[in-house]
Amino acid sequence: MSSSWTGELAGEGRGLRDRLMAVMDRGVQSPLSAAEFNELAMAVFRFQVRAVPVYGAFVRNRGARPETMERWEEIPPVPARAFRELPLVAGAPDTVEAVFRTSGTTGGEGGRGVHRVRDLDLYRASLLPNARAHLHPDGGPLEVVALLPAPEDRPESSLVHMAGVLVQEWGGSRGAHPFLADAGWRLDVERLAGTLDRLAAGSTPVLVLGTAFAFVHLADRARSQELEWRLPPGSRAMETGGVKGRSREVSREELYREIHRVLGVPPERIVNEYGMTELLSQFYEPVLSGRTSASPAERHLEGPPWVRTRILDPDRLAPVASGTPGLLQHVDLANLYSVSAILTEDVGRRRGEGFTVHGRTPGAEPRGCSLTMEELLMAREGEPDHA
Amino acid sequence: MPEFRAWVLPGDGASGDGASGPGSGPGSASAHRRLSLEPAEGDLLIPDLDRSAAAALLTRLEEARAPLREMRTHDLIAALGTSGRRLLDPNDPLRREAEEWLPREAGLSAPMARQLLDRMARDWTVPALTHLVQAEFGDPRVLEGFVERDGNGGDPHQDRVRAEGDPLAFHVGAGNVAGVGATSLLRSLLVRSPLLLKPGRGDVILPVLVARALAEADPRVGSAVAVAYWPGGSRPPLEALALERARRVVVYGGTETVRELRRRLPASTPLVAYHHRISAGAVGRDRLSGEQETRPLARQAAEAVSAYDQRGCVSPHVIWVEEGGAVTPRTWAGLLAEAMEHVATELPPGPIPEEVGARVHQLRGAAELQAAAGAGHEVLAPDHAGWTVLYEPGFRFEAGCTGRLVRVQAVERLEAIPAKLAEHGPLLQSMALEVRPGRREALAGAFSARGVSRITTFRQQPWPPPWWLHDGRGPLRALVRWSTLESSDYRI
Repeated sequence: MSSSWTGELAGEGRGLRDRLMAVMDRGVQSPLSAAEFNELAMAVFRFQVRAVPVYGAFVRNRGARPETMERWEEIPPVPARAFRELPLVAGAPDTVEAVFRTSGTTGGEGGRGVHRVRDLDLYRASLLPNARAHLHPDGGPLEVVALLPAPEDRPESSLVHMAGVLVQEWGGSRGAHPFLADAGWRLDVERLAGTLDRLAAGSTPVLVLGTAFAFVHLADRARSQELEWRLPPGSRAMETGGVKGRSREVSREELYREIHRVLGVPPERIVNEYGMTELLSQFYEPVLSGRTSASPAERHLEGPPWVRTRILDPDRLAPVASGTPGLLQHVDLANLYSVSAILTEDVGRRRGEGFTVHGRTPGAEPRGCSLTMEELLMAREGEPDHA
Repeated sequence: MPEFRAWVLPGDGASGDGASGPGSGPGSASAHRRLSLEPAEGDLLIPDLDRSAAAALLTRLEEARAPLREMRTHDLIAALGTSGRRLLDPNDPLRREAEEWLPREAGLSAPMARQLLDRMARDWTVPALTHLVQAEFGDPRVLEGFVERDGNGGDPHQDRVRAEGDPLAFHVGAGNVAGVGATSLLRSLLVRSPLLLKPGRGDVILPVLVARALAEADPRVGSAVAVAYWPGGSRPPLEALALERARRVVVYGGTETVRELRRRLPASTPLVAYHHRISAGAVGRDRLSGEQETRPLARQAAEAVSAYDQRGCVSPHVIWVEEGGAVTPRTWAGLLAEAMEHVATELPPGPIPEEVGARVHQLRGAAELQAAAGAGHEVLAPDHAGWTVLYEPGFRFEAGCTGRLVRVQAVERLEAIPAKLAEHGPLLQSMALEVRPGRREALAGAFSARGVSRITTFRQQPWPPPWWLHDGRGPLRALVRWSTLESSDYRI
């Protein structure tokens, strides 16, 4: 925790941080009751409107009265895009512990999303129990490799940071370099082949982390060089980020078949993760714990107990009827030192204990010849949306 | 569930009778699939042609070229013009079918669909098409045979030229602006190129109805046009064959679509590409002398933004308003917002697609945060996503989204704008330039130099005339090749 932010508000923040850490320590299998979540969320919200003054002004301009509001559903969300334009952080923006940036698109002058992280320990406390529940529920020995750049090469990628934490925590592949892409997100095929050869020869289960795009790339390279590995039983993969708008679009089923073919990891051991630079918590398909369908098309995503998700109709932002698609809006209490309530641009629908996210369906045509700057200028190649 | 057959194929037995069942004649799509128009009621029926049916269809189109090429321009225009006339006639079943299906398929409100129909179909009538040919070629006989180049009739030493269409053209719509496909289809036929048109989703109804009208009007014309919709990326055999056999391909779409088509085309096939573009407006202080005077201008701007829910490349996304007039840019933004609300009452927006609503709320929320930070932004919008005016205190070139969202940006001097467009200039297509006549020409020149291809007014902006130089090119001249008959005796 940075000591450079002091004063009464900072003290209040520390109190909330301690409460949140205690909740996170209980793990994701210990749900917060509706009342518990609400109480904590409102306390965090009342802290944020004072600690992040621009958010406070935003809330007041909406006519909301934090002092008298009672339900977390009423908390005014900021759009994810706002992180592109303004520093949304408690305390002085230049005293934070890390700065995560989205990559990829050239969004005009608005540029990239920036999440200033005041407290990396809180981030770690939020991501670990969640990752453990969904990627490593059985415990035991594990080797972790990532089709990602190393944290020192990409310190501003939240995904790479997360991979770094998991490698550190669960053991990277002993001695060898577990990050198999260069700073430009390109797979280092030689190192990758050497690492996978070695891991396949062993008996310790492997966790392979990567963007969907990186797995597609891996499958393409493996095909052209006639490479295949059979990772030890119990191995699993985590893929994240879409494959939309890339040079080669593949369906999820096809992607999972390819991963199975190349690494020997069957579809029911491939976990989709949905994360955003703007949120410090992640969502996973609870497939390893058997709480969602093994079939990729029928799965759902779940967040940890300190996150709640609403699905809102895209016209008026009112909650939709269950099962109807709408915009995803999250309240992530791990975002203690920025803003917890965030409206995304993602469309999804309620399913099971969680929700699904709709990617753009293959072949769907964009609405209108009049499009956004991103589409006009074309995304820069190479980096995933999430990173 | 009501259904609409998303194809017209020459030789298809059911062609022209408006029946919904697939035809059975040669080249008919005896197999088809359904595509739901959700949330609207109804299904599109999509043809399923196997490779041999697709090949037979293209052969039939090629065979239609000779009779089409023999037609006099006058007769050809008379046949083509029936489509516009019928779509404008409230008692014609074709018009009624358009009114029934256009809102569902294009996702427009019924009043907006009627306005679009009225404005577009006007361009497809005999007088408009006659004017188009005249504007493009001067002497329309150049489409019928060899004509003296400079009109120096009778000089035996003068080379003569002829504008020649293609044996087969393939037009691909990948946007969803209703009317684009039908316009493209008529342009091709005007230069005597038989064509296969694959319209974009959201633009399926009008080309199908126009093609049906043509088949009923004149079999020589009807035999030269096929319309078939399939979802982009589904790559039916017909698409591959058409790319192989077409002698010219015309595409309306995004960079990826264009790049993909270019890659798949034989090197010798010309590609006429109309890329995605956006439009803008600029209002000079000399047009801001008082609220009463400027109210009509705000109304015209609101209509330009709202037309076909801002999906057109001619739809303005940003309006630069000059400081120093009696009406401030902020006040003008308020007048525009009032006008947007009025237009939304008369011509309501269609159902808000999820991705449009998503973007609208992102942009509104980001602007609210800017406002909270004291940056001077303002969001003028109702509680639904139907329209949005974002007032911004300075220049920033950024596209909004479709969905009637427009930025009003206060600028010190309009003359400073063109230089700021930098590399984005060519993305700008139409510029509504509202200044007094004395400034207009110089400013127009500066915008033109930066890549803007059309300087217009708010009133005309959403409805360019048929003979407009589409993205800077003659709409018919882009579709012909010139043949020269040289004189036997070369002489300067």
